[in-house]
Amino acid sequence: MTEQIREQISAWLDGELREDETGLLVRRLERDPALRGALGRFVLAGEVLRAPGGQLASPGFAARVSAAIGAGPGNELPVALREKPAGRWSRPLLGAAVAAASAVVAVLVLRPDAGERNLAAQTATAVQPVALAAPLGQRSSPTPARNQRLAGYLVAHSQYASPLSRRSVWTGVLAADPGITRVAYDLAEAP
Amino acid sequence: MRRSSAMATCAVLGALLATPAFASQDEARAWLERMTEALATRNYEGLFTHTTGRQSETMRIVHRVGRNGSTERLVSLDGSGREIVRTPSEVHVYLPDRRVVLVEPRTDSGSLAQALPAPGPRLEALYELGIRDGQRLLGRDVRVLDVRPKDGYRYGYRLWLDEESGMPLRSVVLNGHGRPVELIHFTQLELPRRIDARETEASVDATGYQWIRSSRRASGAVDVPAGWRPMRTPPGFRVVASRMQVMPGVPVPVQHLVLSDGFASVSVFIEPGSASQPSPPESASLGSASAFSTRVHGHVVTAVGEVPLETVRAIATSVAPAGPEPAPAEISR
Repeated sequence: MTEQIREQISAWLDGELREDETGLLVRRLERDPALRGALGRFVLAGEVLRAPGGQLASPGFAARVSAAIGAGPGNELPVALREKPAGRWSRPLLGAAVAAASAVVAVLVLRPDAGERNLAAQTATAVQPVALAAPLGQRSSPTPARNQRLAGYLVAHSQYASPLSRRSVWTGVLAADPGITRVAYDLAEAP
Repeated sequence: MRRSSAMATCAVLGALLATPAFASQDEARAWLERMTEALATRNYEGLFTHTTGRQSETMRIVHRVGRNGSTERLVSLDGSGREIVRTPSEVHVYLPDRRVVLVEPRTDSGSLAQALPAPGPRLEALYELGIRDGQRLLGRDVRVLDVRPKDGYRYGYRLWLDEESGMPLRSVVLNGHGRPVELIHFTQLELPRRIDARETEASVDATGYQWIRSSRRASGAVDVPAGWRPMRTPPGFRVVASRMQVMPGVPVPVQHLVLSDGFASVSVFIEPGSASQPSPPESASLGSASAFSTRVHGHVVTAVGEVPLETVRAIATSVAPAGPEPAPAEISR
């Protein structure tokens, strides 16, 4: 990210970018996924650095975020930001899902390699009365029907969510990408 | 006399100490209600970034309130051309990359009014609310509203609200460690008195697309999973709606239960399974939304909601055919 783009994004986030420059920046964002990724890092970094009392950040986090801002588009976010797994659908999978109307199976699509990380994070915050069971990481191939099912469920659910949550759910549906994370639990069937 | 005097002194001191806290809670709840009302009743259009994990997208949103109700349009600016349009009667999800439109009937306003999360006094049993001044955003004075959950069954929120309108200019969803799960940040927001209806029409030419519709009507010729409910719920979650509906790609009607704690909500879908369906429970995270699916008594039960994964899992695994118990028990904290 060049200094000029960095300054433009900074001005945009502060609502101080001129209208004509905003249009150019938005079009550039549409074309350039790497720039969108950089924007995300920039926004989150600003968010974390501004957080009062460091509530959002762990020790050393700000430095890692600062480093990430300067990192290339292929680089990942700092560990702290990855602890919540990137949870999104596969865009190609969702698309294929929608195309296929035949129904099968239960739900969700998933990237098994991220499953263990996800579970580790979830286990750390697990609600006490409901213990998680191992093992994890069962593999299965995502099917179009699963994705379609999940998209339908989320849109149906969004009608009963608050306006704030509805926007969040819709954004997730539109932004579906390969980051969805799978966790498989070895649980006995519920009584 | 001395004793009663001391008690009176304590009471006065207690009241003095407690009043600011209650005032803050009340003021914060009032801001939460104001935000919810603004989102539902104001005309607005703007651009925002949505960031989760390693991904960030830019979206455009238009919300228009007309005589027949509200219309809303959300467009992805990432080049896919995907958009969602919510009319007074239906929700359309346009997926031009697949030449498909998903259609969901809009829930009637009567049942929706009862089921929608509404911040009320009981919210404070589940969340701690706080309000304070914030730095200006988009040239507007801002109040920062903190919604901190009292247990691990729900997310926390930090909301930067426009002091004049109550609209959220920035929102962060926080997990149990206080770390960001999702960030929505407006880079441009306008609140015009009037928005042209054409602004909320889809820009996608869906001629020749496949339209996949859900329906509220259940055919009588299929096996309907009637009367299921959760046997145990996380603290504060109550069933606020139940209905049958036909989902796209699902050959049989599905029972849809909605649970809410007054702020967060969870939907549970129960559909008859078949022998060919796999049994391992699976889960997924999608921004701040979580989903969990499992099989219960030969049915596929899926819970989705903007809550931690543990919450949807706890609810999904507790669902069973309705028994004699009048109400579900709460899981202890």
